Amino acid sequence: MAEVATPKIWINRAVFLAVAFVLVVVQLVPLDMRPAIWAAPDLLLLVTLVWAVRRPSYLPVLVVAAIFLMADLLFGRPPGLWAALVVILTEALRKRSKNMRNAPLLLEWGTIAFGIAAITIANRLILAVVMTPQPPLGLTLIQMIGTILVYPLVALVAHFVFGISRPAPGQVDGMGKLL
Amino acid sequence: MVRDRNSDDYFAPIRRLLVGLLILVLFAVFLAWRIDSPRMERFRAMAVDKVVPSFDWAMAPITGAANLIADFQSYQQLAEQNQNLRRELRQMTAWKEAALQLEQENAKLLGLNNVKLDPQLTYITGEVITDSGSPFRQSVLVNVGMRDGIIDGWPTMDGIGLVGRIAGVGQETSRVMLLTDTSSRIPVTIQPSGQKAILAGDNTLNPPLEFLEDTALIRPGDRVVSAGDGGVFPADLLVGQVALGSDRRMRVRLAADYQRLEFLRVLRSQPHEVIDDPGGLLAPETEFFGPAALTTLGSAVDG
Repeated sequence: MAEVATPKIWINRAVFLAVAFVLVVVQLVPLDMRPAIWAAPDLLLLVTLVWAVRRPSYLPVLVVAAIFLMADLLFGRPPGLWAALVVILTEALRKRSKNMRNAPLLLEWGTIAFGIAAITIANRLILAVVMTPQPPLGLTLIQMIGTILVYPLVALVAHFVFGISRPAPGQVDGMGKLL
Repeated sequence: MVRDRNSDDYFAPIRRLLVGLLILVLFAVFLAWRIDSPRMERFRAMAVDKVVPSFDWAMAPITGAANLIADFQSYQQLAEQNQNLRRELRQMTAWKEAALQLEQENAKLLGLNNVKLDPQLTYITGEVITDSGSPFRQSVLVNVGMRDGIIDGWPTMDGIGLVGRIAGVGQETSRVMLLTDTSSRIPVTIQPSGQKAILAGDNTLNPPLEFLEDTALIRPGDRVVSAGDGGVFPADLLVGQVALGSDRRMRVRLAADYQRLEFLRVLRSQPHEVIDDPGGLLAPETEFFGPAALTTLGSAVDG
């Protein structure tokens, strides 16, 4: 939010950018062109959501919009729609992140699950309304459920590897201001 | 909660406004895509063209590691593979001999009949840079583009069979929509019965045949080749073999090796010459009546 941008925040923003970049590139590597029977969880979305819930200050909204718009263009999705939905979701989570600080993991997980389901359904509905050809429903559902199930794992990795933990009550930033 | 929120109070409303604006812009992009899809797709091709080649350095180690693992696995089966290859090679020499004889015979017969064949197709070979990155779309990006004279719609093959067609051309890259993509539709002919059908991708490895006139005439194992119908594709490119799917539909086992698409051939497909002249009437010019007189009257009025 309007926290003073300390060097630490800038470093962490760069870390997020790097993680997102790696995730995009890994998806693009041409290894096997046979159509997959199942769809892997959407890690890029998960990482963004973990950051949004736990450390929103490391996640400028412009970066989210830019990354997801680029991903839309690269992955052959209708450009703009998924990016807009993700920005809406991260903004909603950002608003709740202050209250989520003391919430149990299960509640956080539930909120995220609800959010992912909401934007997936909204995506399909909007595409149906404007009559765009859609991917098979089964694959979308598999991906949605997989994404929701993997969330705690991603949160764990974010916590221990990248230090993305919820700020403790009373924690101060580099300028001595309350987080 | 007692908190110092002074700075938030100044900034929050402006931020909310800007975020709202950002979301509106993103939706506007989506609507623009929906309304004027070709223009946005051109923009997409341009963006991909700018961004993807610069990922090369990042992708090289991942591809290398994956290849290393694949190579290691193949070492384990080396002896077995070697034996299989020898056996296949023996069969192939027999086939080669037969093919040579047939070719000579064919050339002789064609010469006797004075047949004009289509000029042979030329091709450009490109390397696969990335795949679509999404489980819902089946496409790959190759490193040849407008610079190499690639045109939208040209067919693409690996060494053996048809792989897909060009859908989206950038300056240095172009996207190949694979036959397995849900929006891929290709006219095909099934030999030897000569039935026409549409090969409709459905995101599975073996796409089904649609609009078959008579399923009784085709059998699993029949060859499927592209048809020249509609001037979309050159005729007689190998697509695959008919196979009966587990859902009792006729499907095609594709000849191209989708597991390992590294290099693709883009065929320069020349458009068919269109004959739009109905053919003149062989008669003396003075003897026109009726409709002919009307048209001369019409043109006189126009003039």
